Amino acid sequence: MSNHVGIDVGGTYTDAVFVQDGHIQHTAKVPTRSENIVETLMDAFDTLRIVDEKSINQIVVSTTLVTNAILQDRIPPVELLLFSGNGMRVDALPWPVGYREFFGEIDFRGREIEPPDQREWEKVLQTTGLRENPAHVAIVGKFSHRNSLHEEQLAAYLRHHNSSLHIAMGHEWGQANFYRRSLTTYLNLGVSDLYHQFALDLQSAVTTRKIKAPISILKADGGILPLAKIRPIDSIYSGPAASVLAALTQNEPAASSIIVDIGGTTTDIGLILSGVPLLSSKGARIGAFSTLVRTLAVRSIPVGGDSVIRTTDQGFSLESYRLGPAYCLGGNVPTPTDAMRYLGLIDYGDEQRAEEGLASLLPQDQRTPKLLHELATAVIDEVVDRVVEAVDSLKREWQAEPAYKVWEVLHPHESQAFHTLVSGGGARGIAAALGKRLRTPVQLGFLAEISNALGAAMARATFDCTLHLDTYMKQYRVEETGEQGKWTGSLRPYLEVEGFLDALAQQQAARYEIEIQDVEKDPFDFFPIVQGYKTVGQIVRGAFHQRPGVIGRVRV
Amino acid sequence: MKRTGILFFPAFDWSLGDSHPEREERLLYTQEQLFEEGILDLPQIKQFSPRVASLHEVLRAQALLPTPGSQTDSLDAHLIAAGSAILLGEARVRGEIANGFVLARPPGHHSGATVWGNRGFCTLNNEAILVNHLRAQLGIKKIAIVDTDVHHGDGTQDIFYHDPNVLFISLHQDGRTLYPGSGFVNEKGGPNAWDQTLNIPLPPGTGDEGYHFVLEEWVLPRLRAFAPDLIINSAGQDNHFTDPLASMNLSAGGYGRITELLQPDLAVLEGGYSIEGALPYVNLAILLALAGEDYHHVREPQKLERPVLSLAILKPYLQGLKQQHQTIKPNFTIQNKAFFPEGNWIYIPHSVYYDTEGFQENRHDYIRQCGHCGGTVYIESQRSSSQKSCLVRIPFQACSECEQAGYDLWDHLLRHSEDRTSALLQNQFHDKFSVWQRKEGLTQF
Repeated sequence: MSNHVGIDVGGTYTDAVFVQDGHIQHTAKVPTRSENIVETLMDAFDTLRIVDEKSINQIVVSTTLVTNAILQDRIPPVELLLFSGNGMRVDALPWPVGYREFFGEIDFRGREIEPPDQREWEKVLQTTGLRENPAHVAIVGKFSHRNSLHEEQLAAYLRHHNSSLHIAMGHEWGQANFYRRSLTTYLNLGVSDLYHQFALDLQSAVTTRKIKAPISILKADGGILPLAKIRPIDSIYSGPAASVLAALTQNEPAASSIIVDIGGTTTDIGLILSGVPLLSSKGARIGAFSTLVRTLAVRSIPVGGDSVIRTTDQGFSLESYRLGPAYCLGGNVPTPTDAMRYLGLIDYGDEQRAEEGLASLLPQDQRTPKLLHELATAVIDEVVDRVVEAVDSLKREWQAEPAYKVWEVLHPHESQAFHTLVSGGGARGIAAALGKRLRTPVQLGFLAEISNALGAAMARATFDCTLHLDTYMKQYRVEETGEQGKWTGSLRPYLEVEGFLDALAQQQAARYEIEIQDVEKDPFDFFPIVQGYKTVGQIVRGAFHQRPGVIGRVRV
Repeated sequence: MKRTGILFFPAFDWSLGDSHPEREERLLYTQEQLFEEGILDLPQIKQFSPRVASLHEVLRAQALLPTPGSQTDSLDAHLIAAGSAILLGEARVRGEIANGFVLARPPGHHSGATVWGNRGFCTLNNEAILVNHLRAQLGIKKIAIVDTDVHHGDGTQDIFYHDPNVLFISLHQDGRTLYPGSGFVNEKGGPNAWDQTLNIPLPPGTGDEGYHFVLEEWVLPRLRAFAPDLIINSAGQDNHFTDPLASMNLSAGGYGRITELLQPDLAVLEGGYSIEGALPYVNLAILLALAGEDYHHVREPQKLERPVLSLAILKPYLQGLKQQHQTIKPNFTIQNKAFFPEGNWIYIPHSVYYDTEGFQENRHDYIRQCGHCGGTVYIESQRSSSQKSCLVRIPFQACSECEQAGYDLWDHLLRHSEDRTSALLQNQFHDKFSVWQRKEGLTQF
């Protein structure tokens, strides 16, 4: 029997759900106390009133802990040390944090072009507090994902002089992009203390209750990882990912859909293509930081049921902020919710007050039923316009994905038959208008008030293992783990490399406690390396993936 | 801030042969370098994704012989490179970007007005297809192409040799010392486009300083005088001192400076086969220069150790070349065939060697002399001693006489097709292309 608990820590409320074999058993909603997230989580858990706590198989948590720490600038200083080499000027890109540059250069094949200069390192020890004080140090070299040599050398040197340093190295983020690798290493190190404290507290709180179920954390790409295995920075933006997963639990398995989650002030929009959520081709951006964090392609727009409507010379404008609840729900300002209520699209809120609220937007002499009706319709259309704009921008992102092979260009994304799944408080109010504008069938999502918790409860692990093998340099690297190792196989491997990647993937899955269910294999790319018209080796690229998805469908 | 477009299409699944210079690996390290630098994170850089060019778009610039469907090797990769050039060119003309870099394989500048196959690694001429697309669809009138590949851009020259609205300038290592063995100062354009082709052969060993001197002293003034709506740079990277096929001495930084001097609206990758020692760095420098960023920190690991030709030697050489260029006057032969419509038809014989497959194309080109337009062109082309095809081109902005001459010629060809395999009517003026072939008759493209 599968018993899953999902808890989503939101800005105002924390929601929880208990799902047993695809049936929702209990839901809960408690206020979020951002100063004590662990207590909030346990509070939500208790409110679920699960009788047999021992039977729980899994608890998944989606939390804004790390997101908020970064956005509110609550991370301790990190000393960022760079081997920036030649090439583009480092300051051509905007750096939200300071850094120091050192000599030493590696090239794209991982060859050392210029060794580091230890005298520079000595100087840094002398002029900063790095010799005595405990500090966070992030060391990142250009092309360190091809060869970590300089990073390791500097780390060893610093540790030798000060064993209390907390050091992180860029090559552990094994993807290209020196700039993003630097900032990702920086942020992950910056939030690590905060996260580890949280993980410890949560684990001990759960253990105290004699709950044996493993705890996992939801990531930006919609996957989950055990509490102790996740890299803290990967937990950002799990909220929008959760709402896309929630939609998956209500979809036909291979359906393509547009996901619209309309809340009070924000609407999240996502795309699901043949059952798989669209991933962003670039890493997540958080605050002023561009990162390598894999994330679902989602759009969050500042429009919702509680957005303020104001009169203007041209009629009205839809603002991007909220001033309390809708007028028909006892608030002070008219909102799209009042327009929905007036048109009878939703059945909550006071009808009379909805009319009053809308009327306040019109001059005295124009408050006729006909004009009120037109106004209400125009308000809904405006909300729909904003949503459609975001949907179009997402679709453009999907269609404009770069292609680097002839095969990819000749086999473009098929235009898909989409349907739209609308959830959230304002779902009923915009469903019809949205379906008409998007020209798709519209389906209403259920249990909108706890949909993120539901997405978390039903999430499964994502898995990626991307191999970069250079048989001439006799080196292999794994993007996701930053692992670098020696290749002892043949110069022109064929079947051999498949077995090799298989083994790597098995090891990686075991290390992260991931169960691989349906793995997808990218076709291998083979690049013959030629010197003087002779093939002397190969660069081989290949990857295994488990795409974001859910463990099953859900019925109410 | 300038907005710079990049269309990166490395064709990682396409090569002309396992150990051929034009192979999968060619742009692999360029990708590693550009991505590692985080170049796509520069706020002014916008990445575009490729598209496939149509045969209609190709036929606007080139006759695929004997018929568009008969090319032995698949055109797919070539059509994507050409389509990519078109896509980025359109973005430039619409003002979405201030300039752009089509960083695509395969190259195209050895591919000429008639195409029987691949030569010099090229099958379709990406720049020419782009240029004629912009003229036909986006109302662009005057375009300059500056070819900075180390090899003479003979295909591009061939396509625009009679076109008064396209200025073609090629700087290259002297044709007496390098493939394709052409591109001398006396090649100055056809009778109706005299002086619209400028060839500057450079001695082996020329370096950054010398190359930049030629640009400033000769190329830029010529560009200014022409005042084009757009400048396109055929950006071959084989002038680099590490290139295995040529003998010039330019550096990656030198290429950055070339880009800065030319200020092209679009740079389109051509050749360059030092795929580790040069391409990652040269491509980076060009892209940075286009984006208005500092490229002086781009440095190839290898040091230039060969002697560089000094300005003291290059200056008198150039002076002589310029003088020679000025003294060359048009000297054409009129040769009218019995079936030619009225007018004076200039005869220019032409032969092309296809090195990839090893065969010869023999051509007889005839151009109707005209003071009003580019003039109708009639080409008889024969592959080795087998198939024979004809091309009739009615040029952009054709005058009514030349247009009529084109139709009359075409009518004649359709009625007298004895020894011919196929024929193409390339009506650039009305953007209509008809192919006649013996078995299937007429097809419109």
